[in-house]
Formats: sequence, C-alpha cells, structure tokens
Amino acid sequence: MMAEFCGNPAVEAGEVLMPRKRKFDRSRICVKCKINPGNLVIRHSVYCKGCFTPLIFTKFHQALEPYINHVSVGPRRGALKPSGALLIGFSGGLGSSVLLDLVYQRYCANVGSDNLKGGREHPRKNKVWQKIYVCYVEVSDIFPETSDRTAQIREAIARYDGFELIPVRIQDAFDRTWWERVSGGAAPDLAGLPFDLGGGDSEPVAALQTHIRALPTPTAILSTLSTLTRLLLLYTAYSVSASHIVLGTSLTSLSISLISSISQGGGFVVPQAIQEEWFPQFVQRTIGDTSWNGEVRLVRPLRDVGMKECTAWVWWHQLLVVGKQRIPVPKQTIGDLTKNFIIGLERDYPSTVSTIAKTVGKLAPRGDSRVRCVLCELPTQQFVQRWKSRTSIRSFTDDASSMDTATSSLPHYLCYSCHTTLTSKSARSTATLNLHSSNSAPALNLPMWAATRLALELGSEQSVGPGAPANEIWETKKLDDGGMKSLVGEFLLENE
Amino acid sequence: MAPKSCALCQNSKAILRRPKTGQHICKHCFFTVFETEVHNTIIQAHLFKPGDRVAIGASGGKDSTVLAYVMKTLNDRYQYGLNLFLLSVDEGITGYRDDSLETVKRNQEQYDMPLKIVSYEELYGWTMDRVVSAIGKKNNCTFCGVFRRQALDRGASGLGVDQIVTGHNADDIAETVLMNIMRGDIGRLGRCTAICTQGEDMIRRSKPFKYAYEKEIVMYAYFKKLDYFSTECIYSPDAYRGHARAFLKDLEAARPSAIIDIIHSGEAFELKEEVRATQKSQQTCKRCGYMSSNDLCKACSLLESLERGMSTAITDKGRRKLEAQGLTPDNMRTIPYFHPSSSVDAEAES
Repeated sequence: MMAEFCGNPAVEAGEVLMPRKRKFDRSRICVKCKINPGNLVIRHSVYCKGCFTPLIFTKFHQALEPYINHVSVGPRRGALKPSGALLIGFSGGLGSSVLLDLVYQRYCANVGSDNLKGGREHPRKNKVWQKIYVCYVEVSDIFPETSDRTAQIREAIARYDGFELIPVRIQDAFDRTWWERVSGGAAPDLAGLPFDLGGGDSEPVAALQTHIRALPTPTAILSTLSTLTRLLLLYTAYSVSASHIVLGTSLTSLSISLISSISQGGGFVVPQAIQEEWFPQFVQRTIGDTSWNGEVRLVRPLRDVGMKECTAWVWWHQLLVVGKQRIPVPKQTIGDLTKNFIIGLERDYPSTVSTIAKTVGKLAPRGDSRVRCVLCELPTQQFVQRWKSRTSIRSFTDDASSMDTATSSLPHYLCYSCHTTLTSKSARSTATLNLHSSNSAPALNLPMWAATRLALELGSEQSVGPGAPANEIWETKKLDDGGMKSLVGEFLLENE
Repeated sequence: MAPKSCALCQNSKAILRRPKTGQHICKHCFFTVFETEVHNTIIQAHLFKPGDRVAIGASGGKDSTVLAYVMKTLNDRYQYGLNLFLLSVDEGITGYRDDSLETVKRNQEQYDMPLKIVSYEELYGWTMDRVVSAIGKKNNCTFCGVFRRQALDRGASGLGVDQIVTGHNADDIAETVLMNIMRGDIGRLGRCTAICTQGEDMIRRSKPFKYAYEKEIVMYAYFKKLDYFSTECIYSPDAYRGHARAFLKDLEAARPSAIIDIIHSGEAFELKEEVRATQKSQQTCKRCGYMSSNDLCKACSLLESLERGMSTAITDKGRRKLEAQGLTPDNMRTIPYFHPSSSVDAEAES
C-alpha cells in the first residue's frame, strides 16, 4: 500500500507542478532607456531595439578586449595592441555570422573617422588589427551527402571589406603538404615507430575516412571533427602570424559544449572550453618569458550573448546566415542530446545556460596540467589509463600499474577524452581499434600534428611522458525474479 | 550464429553484455569484475583499516541490499578485518518501510550482522506521515532528506561505528554532478564526487559503489538471487532531478561510458582557489550539536517550523521569516544534543 502522500502527481497537478513564471519581470518598458516599449525579452528583462545594439556591443567587447594585449592587465586600460593578426573561425552558422558582423562594425567600419564618439584610444580611432583573416573548414569531401559550401561562404564574407578568407579542408589535417606549409618544417618519417600510424593511406581524404571508419560511435565522429577543426584553425592562425582566434560560440552553444565535454570525460579541460592559450608543439617557451612567440589565444567574444540575442541581431541587422553544415551521422550523439536537453531546459528555466557557464567558469583543473595530449593538444592528467582499468576492468591480463608507463602504446600519449573517443563503444558498435600494437589491424591514421609529436617523442629517446532530494515521493513494490529480469533483460544474451 | 565466448576468460559461454563496457562475458566473470572493481575502489581510496566498525546504510532497496552482500563477501575474501553492522532509518511512512525493513531484517540473519533501526518518531517526535499531514505533499522530501541524514549519523553514533557506507552508485553521482552544474551549486559540486565525506566531528561516510553502474547492481542482484524492494521516484516530472536523470539515461544509451566519464570529469576539476575562499565554513548547530552552515542546522530549523505550525523554513528566506516570528518557545520539542562517540566507548558499553 502506498503512503498517503505518494499519490499520482498527475491527479493533483495543481499542487505539484512548478508554477510557470511570467516572461518578464516588471513592465513592458525597456529596462535600459525606460522610455520605449520593449521589443525583446532577455532572461526576464525587456529591451527596446535601440538599446539592444549597444548592449550586444558592450557584451562583445567586454569579453574580447581585456584579452587582446599579450600581457593581460584585466579590464582594458590604454591602447589595444595585439601581437599579431586576428583570425575569425567561421562556420556559416548563427553565432559566427553575428561575430563577423560585430568584428567588422567594431574594428573595420569607419576606422579613422574623427567624427565618432569615444576617447583617443577608442578602437575606431586607430586600427587595432592590422590584418583580419576568416578561416572556414570544409568537410564535404568526407561526406558525399553534403555539398561544398566554400563559394557561399566566400560570398558571405565578401560583403565585408578588409577580411581575407582562408579556406581549409578537413582532410588537410592528414595532408603532409599542408603540414609542411603551416609548420614550416618537414613532415615526419613514421616508419620506425613501435605502432602503426600510417594506416597505409597516403591520400588525405582516404586517410581521414579510414580514421573515421575506425571510430566506434557517432559521438566519436562528431567529437573528432570538432577536434580536427579546432586544431586546423589553431595551426592556420599560427601560420599567418595571428595572435588571436575568435569563435562565434554563443552563451547557449558554450553551455551545450561544456555539458557535452563533461559528459565525454573532458572535465580537466573545461577552462579551455571557455578560453584557451595554445602554442604549437615546436615552439620552445621559456618560463617567465612574456614576449610573444607565436602563441595563439582562442577567445569566444559571444560567450555572454545567448542564441536568442544572436537571432535578434541577425534579424534586426538583416544579416544573411549561410547555415552550419549538418554532419550526416546515423544515430543520436551526446552533442545532439545535450543540445536538445539544454534548449528544452532553457525554455522552462531561462537562466540555465547562464548558470552553467558561470558555474564552469569557477572551476580549475585538479592537479598538474603541463603535459598535452598528442591528438587534441589540450592538457592531460597523468595516470588516466590506470584510472580507467581500475574502474572498468576490460581484461584480466592488463597490469594497471604498468599501463601509464608503457610508452610504446598510443594511449600513453592520449588524454581521457581522446582515448574514450577512440575506444568507447555503444551497444551497436562494430569498429574496434587496437591502440597498443602494430600487428593487428585496423591501424589508426593520425593527424599530422599527432604523428609528428609521436615521431619526435619516440624517435629520440623513449621518454617517460605523461603518464535524497526535494520533491520526490516513492512507490514501493517487491521485485520478483521476473521483475528483476525485465530490468536487466536487454543485457542477457540467451535464455538465461 | 555460434555462441560467443566470454571476452574476459575466453573459456565459458558469454551470457550477458556488460552495461559498463559493452563486453560479452560469462556470469562468473561478471561477478569477478563487479566485485574486483568495488574492491579496487575501497583499496585505492584507503576506505578502511583493520578493526574498523562500519555501518551499512540499509534501506532494503537494491543498492543497499547488494552493498551488504558485497561488503560481507569482500570482507571475508580480502580479510579487511571489519566489524559490519546494518543501520536502517524508519521514516514512519505507512506501507513503505514495513516491507523493505523486512528485507533488512532478513539480511541481518543471513549475513549475521547486528541491525539498528532509528526512527524519525523516536528522534524527532514526528513520523513522515504526520509531517505530510501538517505541511502537505509539496516539499515533504526536503524534511525527509534532512532528517534521514542526521538520523543515520545518530544511529551510527549509537552503534559506535567509525564509518557509514551507503549504496550511492555511479548513476547517482553522475546525475548529481550534472545537476549541481546546471543549478550552479558550487559548494556541492566541489564535494559531490568525493568518495568520502566527513563533517567536523562527524562520522565518515563513503560510497564503495561510486563506480558501479545501477544496471550492474540490478544484474548482480538478479544473478545472485538477492531479493529487494524497488523504490522508484514517480513524482515531479517538472523537477530538476527528474530532468537530469532522464538526460543521463539518454547519454548512457548513446554511449554507455558516459556515466563513468561524467564522474571522471567531476574528479578532474575543482573549485578555483578564490571561489573556495568564499565558501561558508562548517560549524556546529547551537541547539543540537550537529554540523551546520548556520547557527541552527537544517534539521533543527525544519523541526522548529513543524513544532510552530509553519512549513516555510525550507529556504534561507523561510528560516529568516521563522526567526522574525520571535523566540523559540521553551516547551518546544528539540533534537537531543549530538555527542559523536568513538568506537572505544561503544565497545566499553557493549
């Protein structure tokens, strides 16, 4: 028998459902100018069209300009003097279209005019960025179902003066010629490595396709494409002497990517998901050296601007959005699920995305973060393999204590997320990767930066590298054998 | 199709797909990996030392039933040298606890472990049935959760144990990580993946099933033929935890490692130092001696609100409102003062 208060909530919905809040707090008048009727509600606050534009501009430059000078001194004081050029990562999507427009309006339009408001050091008085590049990564060669959109992207960028497009193709990550161009050095010889990295594909498209085919889940495919895109942008930025990359990640997209990253084991690098300081593996850095040596700072200036505000910007400024390329993957991915979940949640709890970003902004990696993963080039922890083998036993023969010091196996050089991407299977996965030895197929093709780093690490000396809550009521029932079986039935192989 | 052989021992026929890894394995290997992983968790975190008196928080549900069995098994197999006890809380919910407490009593006989049952009525003078009749169905679980936590500690203190182990599993922890991020609870986020928690002067609590998937716990109970009572939350489709739980199940379906990956994430970050410095420090409740962030602990605030016929002392705002009503009446029922006792004292008493 159930307790008196364990009734069906649907019957007494009036009492148990959370009351729906009003869309805005006080009145329909703009909270900023307090004169005009509001046109847009942003998290319970009403703004008119006239006040909306400066609001977004303020959010944009407050998220970017404190980080433009190489040595940051907090809130901007004095002139903006970036060390190198600016590279805008452009996908054609909503956020990057807004970003492109904001960068143009702030740093390119009317530069040098004396009739504008603002102090002597205002970005419009002097040109901040000597050169602005826009980099677009095309993926259509890998997915025949998709069409090449480079021409549309070129057209969208051509509307703005002063931007130079650098088209990159996703398979460039496996292209020796591209690597030699961006790194300024020869591509590595992979012949003598203790495990197979080549996979036998010399053509970049074939090499990437082999890599993707070997991935165990749709989640892994999207995660890999995202990693490749990020590294292609970073190395391209380095090759054109850009000191900064800006991405059009909105507050909504940032929250989605943070939860998605945490769900894929990326907790150690959540600070980098907000802002990242990267330098290529071949740049020697000295501790305490504050001069610029080609490092690239990746900033997300729309991190305080929600998707709804981006949409309003596009609408009111009549921008053309090419649209983001949809990657044809067969099943739902962790990224998709997170997106649906967060957007659904935001509808009922409008502060959710902001809370997620703020909360994660208060986190730091636990422990030492000097070593970087060969694949994603983000900081990695030590002893991740040991942790994995201890918490999820996959073999009775693995010696957990030796796993993190076995320098001849690829996992030794991977972060938790990348290793999970390459190995974690779903119930229907068929792909199996062998990351430990060269004698069993299929081999894994690796992008050029990873192959180069491994060749360096293993080619020289065998270095020792990284190693009860509210609002619940309960129904109770005894579980018989059949009941228990129904709970685990999907995992039983036969009539057990 | 020929039957697959076990991916672990290669000898026996695989009869199940392991929820955590997706491997096809035999029953014997499933028991081995499940128990070994719990043992690894215990050893790695140095949870116990020989001679420790350990209370197993037993509700009669799947997690605690399997936990009692596994703790007994590992204690015998690896000679931990632990004195194990069963500790149950009777919330006073008609028809709910009666059956599951029977399971706990049976476990007491099967495993030959002493059992102590602490009741809300005895400790607070209120059963949950009475609480609900006074405050209604809304928020009643706030009272129940706060009362249960303190009841466990007081029961454990009465048993003179060094530690309480609870059946919190990997799904619970992953869900809590997500929920704390989404609602911005940085205090809880900082400590929710810790295997061991201990307030000042309080009894250590730990979670040996921290890395054990809920599905594997059910599977273990099924194959070992352990009987338990399922306790399914059926309330609040609009509530935050319900959202987080459903989302986690979706993630698990897309990639089963998602649960352990979230826990790994939670272990890999910590609060920035400057944020930690702003966190409230723990103190002792002035009325009952239990750990508290404020002058009065949550249980005392809630009990006072019940005694004074108010049901608003759930939030900080509600607590302030309660304080504004004036002084606490002298004849009001309060929770007995908490004196955590050491195991030495308990042994002397017994």
